[in-house]
Amino acid sequence: MAHVGNLKEKPVITGVGCTKFGSVLETPEIKGLAFQELACEAAFEAMDEAGVDPKDIDAFYIGSMVSHISHLYSHHTQMADWLGLHLKPGLHFATACSTTNTGVGMAAMDIASGKFRNVLVLGCEILSSTATDDPTKRKALDPSQLWYWTDFGVDQAYGYHHSYDIATAYGGLPTLGYAKKYGVPMDKMDEAMFAVHKNVRLHGSKNKKAFVTTTLQQEAKKAGFKDAWSFWTGRKNPFLAWPTRAKSALNTVDGASAMVISSKKEAKKYFKKEPIEVAGFHWSSSNYPWYGSDPTQWDIDETTFKTAMKMAKIKAKDVGYLDVHDCMQIYQLIQPETCGYFKKGEAWKAFLEGRTTYKGDKPMNTSGGRHAKGHAFAASAGAEIYEAVKQMRGEAKGRQIKDEPEVSMVHNHGYGMHSAVTVLKR
Amino acid sequence: MEKMIEKFYKSLGKGKIYGTKCKGCGEFAFPPKAGCKKCGAHKMKWQQISGEGTLHLYSSGNLPPMKFAKYHPYAYGCVELKEGPCFFTQIEGVDVSSVEEIEKENEKLPRKAKAKVKKMAGMNIVVFKVVKSQAKKKSKKKSKK
Repeated sequence: MAHVGNLKEKPVITGVGCTKFGSVLETPEIKGLAFQELACEAAFEAMDEAGVDPKDIDAFYIGSMVSHISHLYSHHTQMADWLGLHLKPGLHFATACSTTNTGVGMAAMDIASGKFRNVLVLGCEILSSTATDDPTKRKALDPSQLWYWTDFGVDQAYGYHHSYDIATAYGGLPTLGYAKKYGVPMDKMDEAMFAVHKNVRLHGSKNKKAFVTTTLQQEAKKAGFKDAWSFWTGRKNPFLAWPTRAKSALNTVDGASAMVISSKKEAKKYFKKEPIEVAGFHWSSSNYPWYGSDPTQWDIDETTFKTAMKMAKIKAKDVGYLDVHDCMQIYQLIQPETCGYFKKGEAWKAFLEGRTTYKGDKPMNTSGGRHAKGHAFAASAGAEIYEAVKQMRGEAKGRQIKDEPEVSMVHNHGYGMHSAVTVLKR
Repeated sequence: MEKMIEKFYKSLGKGKIYGTKCKGCGEFAFPPKAGCKKCGAHKMKWQQISGEGTLHLYSSGNLPPMKFAKYHPYAYGCVELKEGPCFFTQIEGVDVSSVEEIEKENEKLPRKAKAKVKKMAGMNIVVFKVVKSQAKKKSKKKSKK
């Protein structure tokens, strides 16, 4: 067990913000926005909701992952005046796809130390296109180039150069390993992954900020298939790495998310909504490979969940809403079993029984996850914290969990590999 | 600090495959590392691997990195070394011609596999080749008779 540690004061999330996820080349709500503008949209929403002026923000952290695309580093210097935070302490940080989950913990420690009263955590990523030498123009990005840069996050000494295959390592083998370990026949496993994806799409269809807002049934009908299952098993959904199909993977998008983390004592003076307490968090780092002969056993996640839950003084049964990293949707089965939200070998059945939708007794990933909501690398975890806060406040219109969760837990992977878990309480 | 990465790849050119063993707790690391994953110590000694391993799972993905795109499709899997660590690399001697064949072959796993050095994308790397079972060899001999 890692060192747990305790904060002298529990910080709270007072404001959250999130842009529409999509493409700045095509999606009407964000079309034509530059990095600075996209980031400001999320940050201003979070500051407005928190009821703080920029003068009340004592420090800010900006997360962004792929500098090759943004043509930026020192984001904090370039964004300080845009955010109204001129001369404030700021820094750029990244833990890849878990960045803005990690940022919550960083800000929480700042608040608990007494150094700062309000900290802005901001994540922004544009993956559809690269910046050019003209700041008003962007160039569409070839996906193979994006993955070349993304894979800089994976063991560049050895692992990457030994035929590294992301779709197999992160999707195919964990899916196959899950089926083998729990004796799930492969056709039944395909049905379980179909059920996971239907959830993803159901939730996306109810989230206006999601990238994909159609259900799987609607997409199947539009494509001329008789039903969703025919579409799932048909030519439009090939295997990315058997037994993982293309629809079980992420969609890369552009977007930004932001949170204001505050001192509970200070927030009481002005904050009118229910503050959400940052009750526990933890992070772990591991080089590739991330698992051994059992691809469902991720030590990195086990230790992170355990430590964050111990810090928050909660058990898995206390969690009313769970959001797990789902760049590959198999982790919607593996991670809830790792943290105890479901018993080992039970998650696949829960999905087939419909228990994990926003209407179910074990709701998960109600924003639509990294396929439907979309994956804007450093901004995605913040979007998932945003969703948890909205659910806890009863503000998740159209996909609201019936009983607003008292405790939520958000888990993320940061390529490759960082594990971050944040526990929120109200 | 020793140039460990260079030593590893240069040794492959001479047909030698090295890992490192922790002088403190005895934990084996492959490929070589400066620190021990188990106890955190920094005192490691170089040791050749036996080359024996067990293939647990494999598949084949459609998103190979650019430098391996010309080899696509190829089998990529998890091999547990006799010395302990699991290593992920290209696998020879298994079928990737269709998902049906990959499924059928995975049902036969785990199987013994042997390390070999292979030149790929301009550099020497370690791949594993599954070992044909003795039972199969014997039955082939019988059928020849």
